[in-house]
Amino acid sequence: MAIRNQDDIAIIGWDVSPMERHTAKTETQMLLEVVTGAVGDAGITRAEVDFTCAGSCDYVAGQAFSFVQNTDAIGAWPPKRDSHVEMDGAWALYEAWVRLLLGDIDVAVAMGSGRSSTADPALIYPMEMDPFYLAPLGADHVSLAALQARALLDRGLVTERQMAEIAVRTRRDALGNPYAQIRGEFDIDDLLGADYVTAPLRRHDLPPITDGACAIVIARGDRARQLSENPIWITGFAHVSELHYPGMRDLCTSHATRTAAKAAGLDESPVQVAELQASFTHEEPLLVQALGLGPDAAVNPSGGPLAANPIMATGLIRVIEAARAIREGRARRSVGHASSGPCLQQNLVCVLEGNE
Amino acid sequence: MMAHQPCAIVGIGQTHHKSRRWDVSLGGLVREAASRALEDAHMDWVDIDAVVLGKAPDLFEGIMKPELYLTDALGAAGKPMFRVHTAGSVGGATGIVASHLIESGRHPRVLALGYQKQSEGNAQFALGSGKGASLGAGGAFAPYMRSYIYRSGAPADVGPMVAVKDRQNALKNPYAHLRLADISVESVKASPMMWDPVRYLESCPSSDGACAVVFTDEAGGRDAAKAGRAPAWVIGSAVRSEPSQFPGRDPVRPVAALDCATDVYAQAGITNPREQVDCAELYVPFSWYEPMWLEAHHIAAQHEGWKMVESGQTALGGSFPVNMSGGVLSSNPIGASGLLRFAEAAMQVRSTAGEHQVDGASVAVAQAYGASAQYFAMWVVANRLDPFGE
Amino acid sequence: MTQVTESTISFPYKRSLGPVIGAFLTGLAQQRILGIRCGERVLCPPLEWDPETGVDLVPEDLVEVGPAGTVTSWNWVSAPTEQHPLHHPFAFALIRLDGADTTLVHVVDAESIDAMATGMRVAPRWKEGRTGHITDISAFVPGEQSVAAAGAGPEEPVTMMDYNASITYRTPITENTERAERATEDGWFLGLRCPICGRTYTGGKGYCPIDTIELKVTDEVELPQTGVVTNYTIITPIQYPGQTETDPFARVHVLLDGFDVVMGYQVLIEVPNDEVRIGLRVSAVWASEGEKGAVSGWTDSNLVGWIPTGEPDVDDPTLVNRIN
Repeated sequence: MAIRNQDDIAIIGWDVSPMERHTAKTETQMLLEVVTGAVGDAGITRAEVDFTCAGSCDYVAGQAFSFVQNTDAIGAWPPKRDSHVEMDGAWALYEAWVRLLLGDIDVAVAMGSGRSSTADPALIYPMEMDPFYLAPLGADHVSLAALQARALLDRGLVTERQMAEIAVRTRRDALGNPYAQIRGEFDIDDLLGADYVTAPLRRHDLPPITDGACAIVIARGDRARQLSENPIWITGFAHVSELHYPGMRDLCTSHATRTAAKAAGLDESPVQVAELQASFTHEEPLLVQALGLGPDAAVNPSGGPLAANPIMATGLIRVIEAARAIREGRARRSVGHASSGPCLQQNLVCVLEGNE
Repeated sequence: MMAHQPCAIVGIGQTHHKSRRWDVSLGGLVREAASRALEDAHMDWVDIDAVVLGKAPDLFEGIMKPELYLTDALGAAGKPMFRVHTAGSVGGATGIVASHLIESGRHPRVLALGYQKQSEGNAQFALGSGKGASLGAGGAFAPYMRSYIYRSGAPADVGPMVAVKDRQNALKNPYAHLRLADISVESVKASPMMWDPVRYLESCPSSDGACAVVFTDEAGGRDAAKAGRAPAWVIGSAVRSEPSQFPGRDPVRPVAALDCATDVYAQAGITNPREQVDCAELYVPFSWYEPMWLEAHHIAAQHEGWKMVESGQTALGGSFPVNMSGGVLSSNPIGASGLLRFAEAAMQVRSTAGEHQVDGASVAVAQAYGASAQYFAMWVVANRLDPFGE
Repeated sequence: MTQVTESTISFPYKRSLGPVIGAFLTGLAQQRILGIRCGERVLCPPLEWDPETGVDLVPEDLVEVGPAGTVTSWNWVSAPTEQHPLHHPFAFALIRLDGADTTLVHVVDAESIDAMATGMRVAPRWKEGRTGHITDISAFVPGEQSVAAAGAGPEEPVTMMDYNASITYRTPITENTERAERATEDGWFLGLRCPICGRTYTGGKGYCPIDTIELKVTDEVELPQTGVVTNYTIITPIQYPGQTETDPFARVHVLLDGFDVVMGYQVLIEVPNDEVRIGLRVSAVWASEGEKGAVSGWTDSNLVGWIPTGEPDVDDPTLVNRIN
């Protein structure tokens, strides 16, 4: 194995909350538990965490400044170096990773959390779209995703049957994942016989609505080696955004994902596991192609977002599941992908490698 | 004392802050600031490698995750776009996150932008959003200021003096929102009491505005210097958070404020901020926060911050000018206000602050805070790297 | 069964349009669709910038496009939401208007999903009572023929747009909060004391942020109902949509007797605003049976507020620092 840069950053621990349709817990309670779980998994205490960064969203929470209560989960006493992004926890991890690259501190925790159950996502999502041209039409994420699916179907890049196969495969794989919400054996013809929800998407093509949270611990160089026998090294990390308006984009390919993957060095060698934030079935082949994944890469063995979709944590959970695959010996190299915005507008790629 | 790479500020831009910028769309507002920063940096959209956007709650404008919509407005299509949100300190955190992208070697040129278009909604609605909305930010923080006045023994005029000083400074800042040429301690004391003990003229406006900063790596900074456009160098930055409430928590002299300042001064090699720092831009949304932050950031001894105000030391012509730009008391687009503090400090050490320039300023401190005085972001900028050596 | 609290975020936003979007929406009010030249291409809907490079685009480069166009992608919304422009099943579509190089996202009002096809031609059906809004096109309809509407639209160029989205959140009430609320219904304060640091929290806060542990039923304590005012503010209400208060009102901080707990922003009753002071001894006042449910204030509880006990004031200069 290549000699590591002494200052490389590694994942040394994590925790994921139960993935529920309706949690009775507050977002803060969920975070409190996963941060406790993550630092415990890493063999440290909160006191040893030098930097924290959380990802969450006021409009998901239904309250301005909703992240302020969540600060209580961090253990910020004595006060901590701490930040927050109004983005999925995967971007909170990115900020934490950059922070550790500065070389003066050693351990960081990134978090993601959200309770999507508290309101109808179809009414919330239009608010993240172009305020003049899209939001006033109530253009929600499912409607826009359906436009992308139609484009892929028309181009022959996917079929409805292939989409249903992805739905079946992911929910079956989720049977092995205690952190999944939707799991089971589904009959593909039964699925294809159901009515469209928003054509060409049927219920099985859509992610569930999920409440959940996660936390991940990263450490730098020697500290990572000291704390973990099997640190999972972040060897590449990049994110790229496309322009916003779906009508001006090529919806049949994910340029941003390709660019981010290249910047993260994904193609330097094969990955055995890829955890992708493919929230709709048709997004999977699109992302697989953009990432240049080979046929030997297992895609979303955790079940992916189609099995559990706690918005604002889903992306970070992909990184966690990619790390889990390495820890469990199912992969030597893996990739986690996160996405934000309509039709995969923003894409983040995180490449992981285990020790040899 | 830096292990990481140097970070230079080579371009700064801001909008004319007003209660309503109805002449522009949201995209137009942020682009006004960004274009000015790019122009100042002698760069174009295509030269930027990454964009960091910061703003306070999305409920102010009713646009969720606006970095999505603003990606191409800010030339970020095909690039990384990042969105920070740390309450009132967000502008500061935005600048710091952007500087880290340079210092870590991730990108050589980064654009940071903070904004708020409060006129599209209503600040009180967004600050309260429901239960307890009647209190307002001023109502929530008035007890802190009362506690400061009592514990320090400060005369009642000190708050009004800060209010006057900042608005008089604002008259020298072409971008500032409030332009109160006739303001005086008497007129402040005669203004309506809003949140006892804080009067109307002691509190910040609600503004539409944006601020943008262009950061480069060391090579970019040196190139700008050679071209006669002296950069500002980031010689220290720090953030601290503490929980909002627990028995015994002191929001008047918060430990997070003390620790953040200790950290940033150590990075910059500063052992005596009062002497070694030439001027400061501090987040003062209500007048009494100026003496509170002077103390909580080790510039004045405990209970003595008000004396710096009363004796005129913090005036533009004083020995330790504070908020030369007019500060938050004169312009408050909440998501941008922290970045404005950071940018104004950088303008001072680049000698580009025009009429509100402190002569010879070479080291400046900027601070932004958020929520119940629990989130702090600070940086120190200078006109050279390592002004205080090891 | 978990109780749920409901709250709705709703606000009438007013967006300024700027010169390009303003011209576009003014055009819609006039039953014209405009695009904007961007290099070799025409973008519709128009942006103020080249989406690929960020360079400025200007109103002088606006050109008329359409009115008809070709559908390049479509969906079928079987169950429209309240935010959708049509309330019967319809299609969202990407429509390349004649003369434009990009596609417009809008709706197609077709009889059924069977009428939709990629490549079909559509034309705008205009709305009466146009205001300069993307829904001035009430929908596109199959075919080449626009459906004009009566009325000239606003006389002046359109510069502003209204937007109001209403989202209702149903948030579960935690067991801790429920128990604290039930306590106040029964006329007492429930505190939760951290077994590690001994700090006590009110209002059902179910964890200690210092020790980051959950606080449980076994950590419950009954708190005193008397205390002393440590700090206060008198608020003059600012008027904004949704504001309910009109006259100046006081909010006080109360340090509970014998307990290291400060209750912040409490209602003070039967004390004129100019007599509110630090050191005032107070006790809690609960709503009587007849009043229950009609209480307003900082918290939704049966606590009406705090009333002076009549005892002499406490003289302690450090009281004012007890904000928490």
